[in-house]
Amino acid sequence: MLDAERIRADFPILSCRTNDKPLIFLDSAASSQKPAAVLEAMDAAYRTCYANVHRGVYALSEEATRYYEEARDKVTAFINAAAREEVIFTRNATESINLVAYAWGRKALGPGDRILATEMEHHSNIVPWQLLAQETGAELRYLPITDAGELQLDALDDLLDERVKLMAFTLMSNVLGTITPAAEIVRRAHAVGATVLVDGAQGVPHLPVDVQALGCDFLAFSAHKMCGPTGIGVLYGRRALLEAMPPFLGGGDMIRRVELHRATWNDLPWKFEAGTPPIVEGIGLGAAVDYLNRLGMDAIAAHERDTARYAMERLSALPGLHIVGPPADRRGGVIAFTFRAIHPHDLAHLLDTEGIAVRAGHHCAQPLHARLGLNATTRASFYVYNTRADADRLAEGLEHVAHMLGKAV
Amino acid sequence: MSDVYRPHILDHYANPRNQGRLDAPDIVADADDPSCGDQLRLEIALDAHGRVAQVAFEGEGCIVSMASASIFTESVKGKSLEELEALSEEDALALLDAPVSAARRRCALLPLKVLQTGLKTYREPSP
Ligand SMILES: Cc1ncc(COP(=O)(O)O)c(C=O)c1O
Repeated sequence: MLDAERIRADFPILSCRTNDKPLIFLDSAASSQKPAAVLEAMDAAYRTCYANVHRGVYALSEEATRYYEEARDKVTAFINAAAREEVIFTRNATESINLVAYAWGRKALGPGDRILATEMEHHSNIVPWQLLAQETGAELRYLPITDAGELQLDALDDLLDERVKLMAFTLMSNVLGTITPAAEIVRRAHAVGATVLVDGAQGVPHLPVDVQALGCDFLAFSAHKMCGPTGIGVLYGRRALLEAMPPFLGGGDMIRRVELHRATWNDLPWKFEAGTPPIVEGIGLGAAVDYLNRLGMDAIAAHERDTARYAMERLSALPGLHIVGPPADRRGGVIAFTFRAIHPHDLAHLLDTEGIAVRAGHHCAQPLHARLGLNATTRASFYVYNTRADADRLAEGLEHVAHMLGKAV
Repeated sequence: MSDVYRPHILDHYANPRNQGRLDAPDIVADADDPSCGDQLRLEIALDAHGRVAQVAFEGEGCIVSMASASIFTESVKGKSLEELEALSEEDALALLDAPVSAARRRCALLPLKVLQTGLKTYREPSP
């Protein structure tokens, strides 16, 4: 088991106060906090070895390049990609998905083809496919979810046929917390010849992920949700696919040779990294991967399961509180709920006055909320630094809000 | 308490004034706030002098937006179209008589936004 109390000491922000109360941070699904190891690695990079990468012949630039490219090796090992060429640095998970839609999808799809997503996707794994469908004449369809918030796997057979060229789904829902049976879905989608993109924005920070065992063709995720900085994300892609794809953005760094009317492309992975990359952010992501590896992804997943189970027990004991999504043994540390008739914005605002940071709204999953028949939910999400005591504070905070609003709601 | 959830706000939320629909409204507008799903419908009937004779609202939303709608509808009674058009965001916030944080301005301003939509359609009906 993780020693969450010791881990808390690694995160400087957790000793801050907010609204004059100790901060209870329960919004890591939106963006996680950063350990000192990441902040120090980035600070040291700017102070001692900063220069542009891949260009300078001087020692400083070589050193910056080495640290930046080392981060790629760390990410490669972290997700067990077969080669570093398969790990592309982007801005975030959203850009990674858009890269695939633009550079792969526009060539691979045409009228009569289908894209299959699911009803539990984040807008980033919906809107790029809507745009791609409009542009190519392909049809976008959705695998439905059950009332309990899990994918309806028995509907897959009906939906999957050789017309499906792309299946795109999340490893873990950012609202329901549901962990999807990803390897099985990949296997079944591959059986009809579909290419598979897995949205790992929630999965990669919280679960051990091995892309070769998973078998997916693309995996997208963001550093900022896994203890790393904002401004950098990852697209993993199978080498053969990436080789065959045209570039995404054009500019410096992604070319081999440029003439006035044509250019040739750099090797992988740089073919997809136009312009000056997020150098120090890359180094920060490398430090975040080191940090998560030190804790161990299995231990992190077990800790979150335990904390979420405890929090679900505490919360469901409150009269009028309803949690959306599956039972604790099939979810990660994300708990979205409604509480009496209290609007999520009021709830999040009033919890904030108690020092408790939770998210209110549709969490960038409007189609999912429409499916659940809700306008909005309140979401508490747990990470390595959250403890059972945080769940207790949340439950007490909710009781306090109910008491304060009294008969008004 | 330095917060927006003051007793008079909670009272307007729990006991909304002017809730419902009018028989023959002159000005009607609906709006929703996509960020939180709040919905509000505002109806106004004018008298012979073009002043607000009756007003009603219906909606679903947070305490701040619904209390604001209740307080706002109380305040517009008797006002001329010109006076309604002159209402600013600061005027609407001042009506609440409670501090509104930056994150909740949109909730508090929903009634004004709906009124402005309604006035625009009233002045320039679509063909
Ligand atoms: C499941 C899921 N997919 C994609 C994203 C998009 O991540 P980003 O905003 O970092 O691109 C998020 C972030 O909220 C997410 O939770």
